[in-house]
Parts: sequence; structure tokens; C-alpha cells
Amino acid sequence: MDTLTSLVLIFIGAALINNFVLHYFVGICPFLGVSRRVDTAFGMGCAVTFVISISGLLNWTVTYFVLRPGAPLPVWVWQAVGGDPAKQIDLSVLSYIIYIFVIASSVQFVEMYVRKFFPHLYRSFGVFLPLITTNCAILFGSLEIMKRLQDPTKLWGLHEALALTLGGGVGFTIAISLMAGIREELDMCDVPKPLKGAGVALIIAGIMAMAFMGFVGVDKGVHGVLSALLK
Amino acid sequence: MLTTTTVALTLAAAVLAVLALVMAYVLGWANRAFHVKVDPKVEQIIEALPGANCGGCGYVGCAEYAAAVARDEAVVNLCAPGGAGVAQALAGIMGIEVDESFPYRAVVHCSANLDQRLQRAEYTGEQTCFAANLVAGVQGCTYGCLGLGDCERACKYGAIQIINGLSTIDYDKCIGCKACAGTCPRNIITIVPFKAQHMLVVACSNQDSAGDVRAVCMVGCLGCRACTKVAPDLISIQGALPEINYDNYDPTDDILQKVLEKCPRKRLTFVGRPTEKDLAAVAEEELPESIQADFKTTVDETEWRG
Repeated sequence: MDTLTSLVLIFIGAALINNFVLHYFVGICPFLGVSRRVDTAFGMGCAVTFVISISGLLNWTVTYFVLRPGAPLPVWVWQAVGGDPAKQIDLSVLSYIIYIFVIASSVQFVEMYVRKFFPHLYRSFGVFLPLITTNCAILFGSLEIMKRLQDPTKLWGLHEALALTLGGGVGFTIAISLMAGIREELDMCDVPKPLKGAGVALIIAGIMAMAFMGFVGVDKGVHGVLSALLK
Repeated sequence: MLTTTTVALTLAAAVLAVLALVMAYVLGWANRAFHVKVDPKVEQIIEALPGANCGGCGYVGCAEYAAAVARDEAVVNLCAPGGAGVAQALAGIMGIEVDESFPYRAVVHCSANLDQRLQRAEYTGEQTCFAANLVAGVQGCTYGCLGLGDCERACKYGAIQIINGLSTIDYDKCIGCKACAGTCPRNIITIVPFKAQHMLVVACSNQDSAGDVRAVCMVGCLGCRACTKVAPDLISIQGALPEINYDNYDPTDDILQKVLEKCPRKRLTFVGRPTEKDLAAVAEEELPESIQADFKTTVDETEWRG
């Protein structure tokens, strides 16, 4: 499988087939909390896509060079102190704390940058940026990248990490916008009293998750089409 | 000989420390490099505003309005909860003169209660005006209050209650934030400058001709123009309804009473807090020992309608 095909497949896989929200059930809090109106939901989705891509970029770098087993930094240090070459040191226990740290700091940085140079953008989605600092979907994106950096024989490159996080963000935007559209219509429906609000929203999320199961197998078709095209 | 544990722990600590230092440096630098100068006036204005974040001024919150005022994009007397006092304070901060401003209050332009609205059908759908407004035949009048309480739920100050199917405003609680006016699917709530405690308003929204109004409502305005003949400067007919020009409104003018007497359906009514005369009328009556907090005691069952 050549690079382009695998990138497209990773993207589609993250956006549709293994949608972060509807397959892994991460990022449920904004999915339920900010899905009352389509325009705010779309803004939230864009902000998540933005932040998840940036944190994917930074966390891939940190993981690749420092955290993964056999990463350059610990190997070099181990050699420098004259350790036993049969053993190696593994810093992957630090992944969670460092990911959260990197995500939080980069969101702060991006917020300041956007506020200074793009005031209009800041006004439209600036309010969402602090909210998604510790959004689990964003941490999940970084953890997925870490999973693909464990086996030294098939390490993911930066482009693959970016395809995954971008796809995850787009998938989140699709899911939350669909949800908001349904909930706008729901305002006019006669919902039984005990189910009003969060109850019916969760039922809808479940039905949507089942509907997204229908994307399983799409990857094979896409793969076939792409390999035929690139031949 | 060093063990893997010792080296791993030291390295972990070192990595975290270096990362923290780098991030702290970068963020500290960014904080200065990307510093956005905030006008000191904005903070003063935020301080002067009531902080209700009601959105009545048309901005997202008090902070947004303050920024707009400081940029000279908004006038200073938009704050309904703050009223004239806040307008004066803002004018002082901005160094400008302010025109006389009046408190704004919500007015429901319908006064037919459930029994007076004709051709009603039983409506069992979603119990909101928003949904009921999409359905034909809930009641004959397609202009008037539906009475399902969207405005009551929109009011953060508890100033609206549905009494006998009619949205009724408590003028002791209303601050004129416009939340109800924005929610009403039939747009029958407007925000009126209250030049006095007691204001003359048109309590009907039906734009149809007299015969059609009679068919759907026992009390609706017929568009007979009796009021314009008495007070042509004050009242004009727009479509089939009288409209009061509040720029020419003088609360002390006798003409208001004359207009009131002329209106055959009594659709021009006074709303607001009772006047001294109303209070004097009940001064002799014996008051009960304790008064339960009950909305109905403030606005209804008097000659004027809320």
C-alpha cells in the first residue's frame, strides 16, 4: 500500500468508520453540551479540529523522540551513562501527563496568538478554545498516535499522525453538526417528559452510533478504488 | 553501575523539568509579545454595568457591550436593567452628554384570555408556542397570544406568568431585557419606553378587518379609528391597528383618558404599576394580616390590564 492510499484510508477511518465520538465514545461532553444549535456546534467542531491537529503534531514529535520505547533521547542517555546494552529505558509512562501538559500549553499559546493576529476568528471561536483544553477526544487522538509508535518496525510518520488527528477532528465536526441538526428539529417534537433534554439526546447518539456502524467495510471499497486509480 | 530504574526516573524528571521550562518560557514570551492592549475605559464600563448579562442591549453580554461602547460603536443608554443611572455613569466615563432615557418594559399586545379567544381546538402537541404556532387551528386568532408560556420560560426574572391562558407581565419584576420579545413566535411582545409608571398601550395585534376579528375574538381591536380621531398626533392607524407614537406621549396629558373612553372595545389600556389614584381607591380597604407572595395580587383584576 503506497503512502497516499494509506493516508486517505487513515483519514476516512478516523472520520467515519472509527468516528471518535460515535465509535470510541470520547468527546461526549461537548457532543451533548454544545449541540443545541448548528452554528455553535460547527464552531466547536472547527475549534476541536484545529486543536487536535496541533496537539497531534506536537505530541507525535515528543513521542517519537522521547517517549516511545527505543526513542533516540533515552537510548542516547543510556549509552552516555554506560548502561548495559541488552537493556533499555522506557519513558512511555510519562505519556498521559506530558500529553495533557502539551495540549494545555499549546491551546494557551494558540489562544494568545489568535487573539493578537486574528481578532475576528478569536471572537467567533475563541470562547471554545479554553473549553476544549482537556477534551478527551484530543487526548485520545494523541494516545492513538502513541499506540502506533510502539512497534519499531512499523512506526508512523508525522504525515500519518496528522491524517489521523485531522480525520478525528473532521469526524467530530460531522457528528456534532448532525446531532445539532437533529436536536434543532427535536425542539418541535412531542418528547415524553422523562426523556426530555439529555435522555433523548443520548438515545439519538446511540442510534447515530449504530448508523455509523454501516461505514464498516467502506475502507475496502476505498482501497480498491484508490489502487485502481493510482495504477 | 546504574540501574535502569534510576536512570529512567532521573530522565523522566529531567524531561518534565525541561518541558516545563520551555513551555513556561514560550508562554511567558507569548504573553508579552502577543499582548493585546485593553482600553482602561472598558474595565471602568464593565464595573459600572449591572453585570446581569441579560443580552437586552443586543450584545452577547455586559463585557461585549462595554467593548462596543468604548469603541464608540454603541450608544450609552442601551442597558435596560441599569436604566438612567448606568447611562449617566457610562456617559461620564466616555465624556459625553446623554439624552434623557426611560426604562424599557415589555408589553404584551394581546389581552384576550382563554374564554375570550374563539374557535379554539384542543391542542395536544408539544406544549410550546413555538411548536403550536406551526399548526393551524389551535385558535381562531392567528395573531394573538397562544398562552403556552414560551415567554414565561424565557424570562430570567420571573416577571411573566400565564394567567388564564394569557401572558401577563409583572411590572415590579420586569427589567426590559427583551428576552420574551425575542422568544415570542408571534412577535406580540414589544419593549416600550415607560415614560411613566403607567403607560397607554394597544392590547391587540390582530391585523384583520372588523368582521374577521369579531369571529375569532370577543375583545379584539376592530380598527374603528375612534382613537385617532380624538388624538391624531398620538395615535396613527398602521394596517388595521392603532399605533401609539411614544415620542409624542405625555403621561400628564388629559387626552389619554379621552382616548380610553372613546375606544369601544377597550383595547387601548393602561399597563404598568398602579398610579397614586389607583392606590387611593383601595386605601380605605382593610388589608389582610399576611400577604402570600402571589403573582396575581400585583397585576390583574383591576380596571387596567397587564
